[in-house]
Amino acid sequence: MSAIRVDAKVVMLGKESVGKTSLVERYVHHRFLVGPYQNTIGAAFVAKPIQVGEKVVTLGIWDTAGSERYEAMSRIYYRGARAAIVCYDLTDSSSFQRARFWVKELQNCEEHCKIYLCGTKSDLIEGDRSLRQIDYHDAQDFADEIGALHFETSSKTGNNVDELFHKVAEDYNNTAFQYMTEETGVDLGQKKDSCFYSCCHNN
Amino acid sequence: ICSSFLDLVKKKLRTERRGIHVDQSDLLCKKGCGYYGNAAWQGLCSKCWREEYQRARQKQIQDDWALAEKLQREEEAAYASSQGATSLGPFSKFEEKKTNEKTRKVTTVKKFFSPSSRTAPKKESQDGKTPSPSISRQSSMETDRVSRDFVDFLKNLQKPGREIHKQCRAFIESLSCKKDLSADELSECVQDFYQNMSDRLMSHFKGSSECVEQVMDQVEKYIMTRLYKSVFCPETTDDEKKDLATQNRIRALHWVTIQMLCVSMDEEIPEVSDNVVKAITDIIEMDSKRVPRDKLACITHCSKHIFSAIKITKNEPASADDFLPALIYIVLKANPPRLQSNIQYITRFCNPSRLMTGEDGYYFTNLCCAVAFIEKLDAQSLNLSPEDFERYMSGQASPRQHDSDAGWPQTGPAPSTVATNTALAQLHDNLEALLGLSSRQENLMEAAQSLQSDLVSWQESVQQEVKDILEKYPLEIRPPAASAIDADNVENDRLPPPLTPQVFAG
Repeated sequence: MSAIRVDAKVVMLGKESVGKTSLVERYVHHRFLVGPYQNTIGAAFVAKPIQVGEKVVTLGIWDTAGSERYEAMSRIYYRGARAAIVCYDLTDSSSFQRARFWVKELQNCEEHCKIYLCGTKSDLIEGDRSLRQIDYHDAQDFADEIGALHFETSSKTGNNVDELFHKVAEDYNNTAFQYMTEETGVDLGQKKDSCFYSCCHNN
Repeated sequence: ICSSFLDLVKKKLRTERRGIHVDQSDLLCKKGCGYYGNAAWQGLCSKCWREEYQRARQKQIQDDWALAEKLQREEEAAYASSQGATSLGPFSKFEEKKTNEKTRKVTTVKKFFSPSSRTAPKKESQDGKTPSPSISRQSSMETDRVSRDFVDFLKNLQKPGREIHKQCRAFIESLSCKKDLSADELSECVQDFYQNMSDRLMSHFKGSSECVEQVMDQVEKYIMTRLYKSVFCPETTDDEKKDLATQNRIRALHWVTIQMLCVSMDEEIPEVSDNVVKAITDIIEMDSKRVPRDKLACITHCSKHIFSAIKITKNEPASADDFLPALIYIVLKANPPRLQSNIQYITRFCNPSRLMTGEDGYYFTNLCCAVAFIEKLDAQSLNLSPEDFERYMSGQASPRQHDSDAGWPQTGPAPSTVATNTALAQLHDNLEALLGLSSRQENLMEAAQSLQSDLVSWQESVQQEVKDILEKYPLEIRPPAASAIDADNVENDRLPPPLTPQVFAG
């Protein structure tokens, strides 16, 4: 039952129905267009090998439940994540507020986690500009402020989707090199005082 | 003066010798080598005594050695037996059991003398709890099997394999000495061991990462199977208390319906309910596994069944938004035994690389979320009013009745009745099947009985037949005819003349 070896954990965060699952589906589907589509029963977890330069980085992409009723548990999900793709719906301003919430959580709990801000459904606003509720520059400013990269994607047309995930893999590959020496120490320490651990202990 | 003194002494000695009469043979070495012996050397001469003493000492040393190395020898015997001489197997098993008993005794004795002897009676009561000797025997058999598998696996690696085996054994021994460690400290020891081992494998034996992972899986299996008893739900933690709390909590939440959790699974579809049942079985089975990885595999199987159930219901692949509620629902329905202990055990002793990133890790994390959700569950998280929640919790009202009263009066049967009906129908089917089975069994019994009587009567008939024939043709013993062999040959004349020797000329 040996599963594929995964190098980095990437979590998808975002409100319900902003299109986290579609984003992953689009990305994985795109890759399998040439061959037969792998019969996945769920899109909640995907292990995806990506060619970065001469190396192959395997991202383990974790989909998460975005509903507010599970908000308290969300930190269990991003424990040990190396990257988080925080999604918001370009046509829904409330989803951006929720994105801010997750960014704050990540900054507090996972300092080694790189954040990618991702506005979804860009195809909708291309059809009708008035649907846009989140200004591109506002989002860009926010991304700069938190030191994150900002993408606007469309799972429908596939716009910017590959670029996003490729960037995640590339960044991981670059930083992985830096962490290599201190990794063992960091990981063990993290385990002890991580949010997840305390979560299970306190309640 | 000097010489006269000497004379005196000689004289005195002579008189004394004359006084105490000692036989010459008593003074000689008991070994009969011809030299004089000495009482201090147990009647032996110096030479024979040295030899004897050396022999005894050697024996003593050997005995000590044997005693000290018992465990080692037994392990090596297991190693050797798996390498060919299988006849050694049962014996080594027996040896192991003996040493196990010994170590257990030693630790309990130690416990009484150690300053923290307060915990000792508690520990023993737990030992007493082990249901029956047959179960413990079974578990020791499992330990045995795993040890043998491990040795078999390492055999392929030749020299590094032996090294790994030695390291693992040393680690288990060192841990069994440190009984007073807290669960977290134990966890740290094991995790450090994993880390060191995989580092060593990487650098020392130049293994590829897949190969190292394979070896690490086996190492985990071996170590955790042997340590399971002492580190699962240990006395030093409140895991057991938490288990009970969670169990009671889930029991109290029996009224939560699939609709309240917004689960997209339609249990009226037979395939879906089939998957739900399988998922529940898988999550309950987790408790019966010993190795963290096997426990994780149970969670993964359970999750896969949930995904299938959702996929069949929705006709599209499930997302996390569908999956988590469904998993919560499954946990509520299954109420898996010792859930918290199992989660803690996996967290503490699973190989971190698997737990942190892989697919198994994902499902495990979801299970943790589900448990956390169940613990914190309140009116808001089920979209209920606090009053309703209170009433359901206290058992004053049942949401099912409520539903059928308010929600579904016009549109035919309420969902609960439908559910009951399907359950009843299933019950009916099962009863029918049972009836059919029992009638078939009766038929079988009848057939068997008739076969039996057939056999009996056949035997009798054969006997009768034999008897009849014997009566019909009684055995006559005729006196042997002393005449020539052709005496009773009636048609003697018609026979050709006997051959006579012929002479050939030439």
